[in-house]
This record gives sequence, C-alpha cells and structure tokens, in this order.
Amino acid sequence: MSGLSGMTFALLSAWGALTGMDLVTFPQALLSRPLIACAGAGVILGDVATGLRVGVLLELFALDVLPVGASRYPDYGPGAVAAVVLASGGPWVEHLGIAALFALGLAVVGGWSLLWIRQVNGRMIQQAAAGLAAGDPGTIAGLQRRGLAGDLIRSLGLSAAALLLAQALHPVLPGGPRFALVTAAAVGAGVAAAAGGAIRAAGRGARLRWLVVGTGIGLIAAVLT
Amino acid sequence: MTSGFLRALWRLCSVQGAWNYERMTGVGMGHAAEPLLEDLKSADPARHAEASVRSAEYFNSHPYLAGLALGALVRAEYDLVPGPQISRLRAALTSPLGALGDRFFWAGVVPTAIGLAIMGVVAGYGLWTIAVVLLLYNGLRIATGVWALRTGLASGARVGTAIGESWLPGAASQAGLVAGLIVGLAVPLAADWLLDPQGLAAVGVAVVTLLAGLGAAWRLGPRITAVKFGLIAIGLALILAWGLP
Repeated sequence: MSGLSGMTFALLSAWGALTGMDLVTFPQALLSRPLIACAGAGVILGDVATGLRVGVLLELFALDVLPVGASRYPDYGPGAVAAVVLASGGPWVEHLGIAALFALGLAVVGGWSLLWIRQVNGRMIQQAAAGLAAGDPGTIAGLQRRGLAGDLIRSLGLSAAALLLAQALHPVLPGGPRFALVTAAAVGAGVAAAAGGAIRAAGRGARLRWLVVGTGIGLIAAVLT
Repeated sequence: MTSGFLRALWRLCSVQGAWNYERMTGVGMGHAAEPLLEDLKSADPARHAEASVRSAEYFNSHPYLAGLALGALVRAEYDLVPGPQISRLRAALTSPLGALGDRFFWAGVVPTAIGLAIMGVVAGYGLWTIAVVLLLYNGLRIATGVWALRTGLASGARVGTAIGESWLPGAASQAGLVAGLIVGLAVPLAADWLLDPQGLAAVGVAVVTLLAGLGAAWRLGPRITAVKFGLIAIGLALILAWGLP
C-alpha cells in the first residue's frame, strides 16, 4: 500500500489528526485508542482485516496506559493509522511486528509533541495575563480556540509525517517467513505489557481475583477454540 | 442560567482544549462557564466580572466529571457565595473529581470497553463490535456529562455531599472489578488470535518475550514502560531476524 492516492492520503491524515486530538482536547470519544484508530484506517484503505490486526496488537501495549492529567503518556492515534498503511497490502504475519515497532516509535514522538503543545499553551496564557485578570470572555475564548487549533496542527502534522514515512518504508519492508518471528515477539511483548499493567492496576484486592478468573477463562477459551 | 446549559455541555467536550501547566484545564472551564454566567451579566455586572475571573483560574479534574465542578461553581456565583469560599470549593473539588473519574472511566470503563471490543473482533464481529462499543461508551459518557452538570447546578456549594450520595463512588469501585475480568479474558484471546496461523516456533518466541517482559517489569518496576519494552523487544527481534539465514 505504498502508492496512496491524494484523496486517501487526505482522508487518512484527517482521521489521524482526529485520533490525535481525541486523546486530550476534543472530543475524547475513544477514537484515540489504537483499535478504533486502526479500524478507521482499515476502512479508509479498504483493508479492514489488517486494520483490526494492527489495532488489536497495539491495544495490548495501550491497555497499560492511563491518560491521567499532567502525566506523560504516548499518543498512539496518528502512528497507529500510519502503521496500518505500512502493514497493508502484504502478508500480515510478516509485517505486523514491524508495523507495531513503527507505531510505538511514533507514539513516543506523539507524547513529546503533547509536552510541547502544553508549553505553547502556557506561553499564550502568560501573554494574555491582563485579559485573564480582567475576566474578559473574549480573551478566554481566544485562548481556547488557539489551544484547539494548536492541537489540530500538532495532530495533523504528526499524521501527515507518519503517513509519508510509512509510504517511504513500505517498498523496502523486509519479507520472508523469519519476519513472522518479529510479529511473535511483538505479540509476546504486548501480552507482557497488558499483563504487567493489569496486575499493577489490580493491586492485591478483589480486582486481582477477578483478573485471575478472567485470565483463566480466557486461557481455556483460547486453547479450546 | 438554563439557556446556556447545552452550550456549556458542548464546551465541556473540549474542556482540556488549552491544557497547560499553569492553569491546567482552567481556561477550558472558563470557556464552558461563560454561557451559564450570561444571566449574571445583566443582573449583577460587577459580580459577573469577578465570576469570569474566577472561572478561568487553575483547575484540574477528570474531563468527563468537570461538569460537576462547573455547575457547582456557577450556582455558587448566582447564590452570591463569597469569592474566597468559591475559590476554596474549586480547589477542594480538584482531587476527588480527578480520582473518581480516573477510577471509573480510565481504569474501569475504558479497559472494559476495549476488552469487549477485542473479544468481539477476535470472535469475528469486526467493525460491528467497534461501532457498538463506540455507541455504548459515548452514550455513557454523554449521560454522565449531563448528569454531572445538572447535579452541580442543583447542588452548588453542597456538591460534595451530592457526589458522595450519588451512584458514582460505588460505580467507581465496581468498574475496576469488571475491567479486571474483561481484560483478563481479552488478552489471552487476542494473543491466540494473533499467533493462530503461526507455528510452534512463533509461540515459543512469544512466550520467551512475555517472560522477559514480566521479569523486566518485576525487576525494574515503572522504569520500564510498555512502550519502552515493546521498542526494545521488537527491535531486538528485528535485528535477529535480519541476521537469520
């Protein structure tokens, strides 16, 4: 899927931007989750199956993350959308692990860009100190608009850059059965991430017991199916 | 005050729009408060000006529950509660609303929704699962937002009591248990689905990586994040795969 048409590139960029904004600013409607972001990218690309595979794998890593207030967290959305482009159009078993590596790297870059936009917002607020001290509704509305616009630019820029990178890398992706082992390692790392996060969140109380029961049933179901 | 309810509700959807380290969600709260404070402008212009200044001061909470604080603070302005008392109420609501929302939504409802979505995808329901989960999650989120703003506006300075007597604290505790069960179910099914067409060698590589990850988490604690471990493990696997004949 290296040769995206202009319309597909625009649609994927817009979708990636929306998933990026969704994480913190607007609308916080679960669109930034990798599974949702990748499913949307799969629909746009006409390759839903690859979108869902990439999305489920990345969710294993994202389940560990709580986007709590001022803490640092990765921004999965734009990178996840581009990872579907990278994995699409080839044997997913060989490309899924590489796509996950690509998406995780971009999630880190996305996290850094969130820190940057917060600092930009802080500088705008310092510049608007007089209006805020006077309680001017126009100043408050202007700051809000510029904050949203800044995040839109951040998310759109990240999405477009990630898509260009995915397009450039797609033709040179390594192939062959041995790269299925990279996918296997990615699945193992994802399960470790999800399990580590779930155990940490469960603590030692009732939630841990429910987690153990769920895992037991899940393992039995996985073996039987 | 009621005329601005819907506009305030809409603006609360982007309450973190200008998030920053100085005022956190303060600017978003001020923006959302403006439609609710409009009636005060004609009734008491001096009080409106004071209220506008206070509305954009430092604030932070879970974004979906910010309506509880917004409603309570606006109601307190209309009730002519002294300014310093309103500022104290604002500060006092920060931690409880953050903790409750994080427990209920981020650590409960979100992992449950995603776990259910994963199970639906693995079971072959694909995009239907995604659509249903998105509808249910956002239905709950919107209903919570409406309830929060209404409860805040109705309670004013007594919002703490209203929250304590509401469904929220109990639901926050239960949501974590459900999330534990659903995530526990979903993760093995997801791994099986992703490894299914591959052979025993792939399963072996996945198990070794899993054990290495759990070992790293046990030894290094929060210093090794999911993303860091993923980058290291997949990167190493890629280098090794390249070197294989």
